[in-house]
Amino acid sequence: MKNIIKILFLVSVVLFTSCTDAFDYSSYVIDFNEINCGVNNKNLQKLKTKSTSDTIKIAFTGDSHRFYDELESFVSKVNEVNQIVDFDFVVHVGDIADFGLPKQYLWGNSYLLNLDIPYFVLLGNHDMVGNGGQAYQKMFGDYNFSFIYGDVKFVFLNSNSREFQFNGKVPDINWLDNQLKPDDDFRYAVVIFHVPPTDADFDANLTESFHETLDKYNNVLFCVHGHLHHFETYKPFSDSITYINVYGTEYRKFNTITIYNGEYNVSEYAF
Amino acid sequence: MRFKKLYIFIVILSLNVSSLWAQSNNDVKTKDTTTWNKFIPDYVKLQYAGGIGFLSAGVGYTFFKQHLDVSLFYGYVPKWFTVDDLHSISLQFTAKLFRIKASKNVEILPLNIGWYIHHTFGSKFWVKLPDNYPDGYYWWSPGLNAGVFIGGEIKTKLLANKTPASGLAFYVRAGSRDLYLASKAGNKSIPLTDIIELGFGVALYR
Repeated sequence: MKNIIKILFLVSVVLFTSCTDAFDYSSYVIDFNEINCGVNNKNLQKLKTKSTSDTIKIAFTGDSHRFYDELESFVSKVNEVNQIVDFDFVVHVGDIADFGLPKQYLWGNSYLLNLDIPYFVLLGNHDMVGNGGQAYQKMFGDYNFSFIYGDVKFVFLNSNSREFQFNGKVPDINWLDNQLKPDDDFRYAVVIFHVPPTDADFDANLTESFHETLDKYNNVLFCVHGHLHHFETYKPFSDSITYINVYGTEYRKFNTITIYNGEYNVSEYAF
Repeated sequence: MRFKKLYIFIVILSLNVSSLWAQSNNDVKTKDTTTWNKFIPDYVKLQYAGGIGFLSAGVGYTFFKQHLDVSLFYGYVPKWFTVDDLHSISLQFTAKLFRIKASKNVEILPLNIGWYIHHTFGSKFWVKLPDNYPDGYYWWSPGLNAGVFIGGEIKTKLLANKTPASGLAFYVRAGSRDLYLASKAGNKSIPLTDIIELGFGVALYR
């Protein structure tokens, strides 16, 4: 009997020390280590140390959902292309966690952490399922955020209205208006969101004020979004700002946007 | 509110344990004749991890000559390990396929296989798609998940002499759940260890 207890004890100790991570408490435990916390802000600090030129080059992906192998390939391709192109940063337009699971956040970020350049991850609707919204805040930060790089202000807006029961506060039009208000610090703005205003997941009551706000200060160069996975450059209205729907990771293609002196062009790479 | 649920559960659990004690303290030869006795659980379990809580307390019954265990667990993850503490219940079915008598006092069950469903409490963890979504918008539900596991158990006569219990068992289990398996599918880059739910526990048999 004593031997059995000894064996059990030894087995437990071995199990404990060899695979503590596998002792799963719940699929909703949000327990991120230091490198997986405050990621957007850390990358912003990194971006600030970069010397800005008059040309800004950005690589986009998004809607990676459960396409983890594809996300891994994306990261190595961006690092490879970066040797020649010298990207300023990478943007993931949301839906990094298909079921909103903290573990999926960890998986998604485990690939992005290998990027040689700063990156920013926006909130998608899938990222909010369960306690995914809390996981986002812990890992990436605020739902709405912005920064100025070169002469451009990049505005990341939470447009997942359906996840907030169409409560009239998402997207936050006032916040957007404040961000776009002209300032000496920037000349142009780029607005990036997950759900486009043409989609049923966007609060229809806010569509008009959203467009008005984007047009208001005449400084928005273009908008970028995801959610629909495919690539498309379009104008929702004949006189509106150009929208760029960037490739989802599953296409094994990614878009890049180069901004120079208020002009921009879009291209793509396959991986 | 959540603590109230936990409290009620602990009360029920302790009532069961104490009634188990009380029952066994009587003459053991007395047949279980009253209806109440039939409902006394065959065992109580305390489990560490395994995807259903930091610690989970369970009660249950055995069927088919102890070849099938059906257990109800209440699992708890304190805030210390996560952002908000998590309360959940799970219903587990464990088939005990083999039984090896190692000695007079020790029985080894080398292969138990099981299936469980797991519900996490809280409005974020909905079971039925909330009204603000069109039908089929999300195909899974964060509040109700299922999983499978395999494991082993060693049944001993520990505590049998000093207490009314018939014995104490130790078990280990390794499993995974639907949402983890779906995440791993088609992704070579995700390590298998990432989707495994390891756990172990003790069972006190009546």
